[in-house]
Amino acid sequence: METATSHFQLSEDEHRKQRFRAAMRHNLTAYAFLAPILVFFLIFMAVPVVWLFYLSFQHDGILAPAQFAGLDNWRRTFSDSLVLKCIINTLYYCAMAIPTVFVLGMIVALSLSMVRRGAALLRIIIYFPTLQASLIVALIWTFVIHPDFGLLNLGIRALTGVKLNFLGDPHFAMPTIAMIEVWKGLGFWAILFLSGLLALPQDLYHAAELDGAGPIRRFFSLTLPLMKPTFYFAVIFATIVNLQLFDSVFVLTDGGPVDSTATIAWYIYRSLFTFSDPGFGATLSFVLVVVVLALTALQTWLLRERA
Amino acid sequence: MTRVRRARLALEPSPAARVLAGFVLAVTVVVSLAPFFYVISTSLKETKSLFSYPPHWIPDPVYLGNYVALFQKHPFGWWLGNTLAISAIVTALKLVIDGMAAYALAKLDFSGKPVIVTILLISVAVPLAALLIPLFLIIRSMGLIDTRLALILPPLANPLGVFMIRAFIAGLPDELIHSARMDGAGEFEILRRVVVPLIRPGLVVHATFIFATQYTSFLWPLVAVRDLHKQVITVGISSLRAIFTVDWGLISAASLIAAVPLTVIFILFQQAFFHQSLAGALKE
Repeated sequence: METATSHFQLSEDEHRKQRFRAAMRHNLTAYAFLAPILVFFLIFMAVPVVWLFYLSFQHDGILAPAQFAGLDNWRRTFSDSLVLKCIINTLYYCAMAIPTVFVLGMIVALSLSMVRRGAALLRIIIYFPTLQASLIVALIWTFVIHPDFGLLNLGIRALTGVKLNFLGDPHFAMPTIAMIEVWKGLGFWAILFLSGLLALPQDLYHAAELDGAGPIRRFFSLTLPLMKPTFYFAVIFATIVNLQLFDSVFVLTDGGPVDSTATIAWYIYRSLFTFSDPGFGATLSFVLVVVVLALTALQTWLLRERA
Repeated sequence: MTRVRRARLALEPSPAARVLAGFVLAVTVVVSLAPFFYVISTSLKETKSLFSYPPHWIPDPVYLGNYVALFQKHPFGWWLGNTLAISAIVTALKLVIDGMAAYALAKLDFSGKPVIVTILLISVAVPLAALLIPLFLIIRSMGLIDTRLALILPPLANPLGVFMIRAFIAGLPDELIHSARMDGAGEFEILRRVVVPLIRPGLVVHATFIFATQYTSFLWPLVAVRDLHKQVITVGISSLRAIFTVDWGLISAASLIAAVPLTVIFILFQQAFFHQSLAGALKE
């Protein structure tokens, strides 16, 4: 009896050990496959995020040794008038660029979906600006909006005789940058919306046509509601990307005139390289991380609700 | 490919709608291309002739000095070479790193999987501009400021590609991998011999995506590298701008050359690219 029990327990133990070994072997293999991405992720992503938080309680650290700053940086982040200006500018830019590029992108997507011939070539041409680096796009656009030889300026001058300077005027500078980014982004959103359009259940359209719904009615009561998941994704993704606006501002206006194009990412860069104040820049960065993560959480929640 | 060619709505649009669509597309094409054509014309003119009014649309005589100056007076060849080399290296490394991680997440059982997935998913959303300062301090403490390695290492941490490749691998039937295991193949061998050949079209699209992201990066190289001979093309060209009298002819020539590599790669792979994005953009 006693031996039988112990024998039984032994075999159960042995069994458990074997299963444990198998599981460990599986774990070992899997983590060996994951090791490279996890190492780089740890060094260049996890550590930087934690370090941001730590830096936000420090002064100096670039030229002079770092010292504890308490809540100084946080107080300054929420009272500095340029921070407020940068946040307002960035949101103003998003509010101009994102709806514009969405409406235009949707119009181009609808047009592309109706084309019979030449669609492949059209897609390539329309995607061409999206493909280029934003810095190159910004430089190419200096040849469109330069006061002396800009293509657009020459046109306006030929028609009205007025010589305009788009980037020199604090009221026009940010809308001009928004226009450039819309031009660059149009191809991307048009193709994304086109893929959304083509994925729609087409039998509904036949049914709607039989019910006597015209094309405009079909667009507003079928296409737009059905494309809601695409739009949720699009709005949040576009906001995350555009909240980081930097390249074109850096090369075209460097925040000016009178800080009218100063953005959050521009200020983070400046706080490090012009003001040698990484603690303050880190605080601003941390706020940006929190905002973007919150937006992403919102997106996940909205998409889950629909599914 | 056939799928993309047939990519049209079920209802035939009316002739009026088709004319309107044609008009919209014609305007879009003109607006998309006009700046490039003007920049081509500018790059073939001397900068001082840019300021004459009315303008000469067609350069006469054709002036090649801008292109010559780029390579003779500026380290433009270095910028182009550095960018192409760094983008290619990052693309190659990233495909291996992402592919391995994606395979583990898609087809291997292990403890802690939900935690790893959640952490990597959250980090997809971390804005890279916000990591600028700590990244700079980390790279500086590694002694890598002003090296090309500084431009190669941090991009490898981006986990977005893991999820894209995982989606391709998850679509493969499990039996395929089980039967390879029964034949005694190791996991790495399965990934290399069985999985990779099957997801090659997706990998090609993903590779062009990584390459393009790398080729167009600006903010990080601007911060990490000061030596112009080690610099990439975007920052290099922007440094041409930071002079009192800007040589616009030079900048137009540089911008055009910078636009060529991605354009060529895109045209080569556009069929695969549109097939992916039009057929599966919204699939999880």
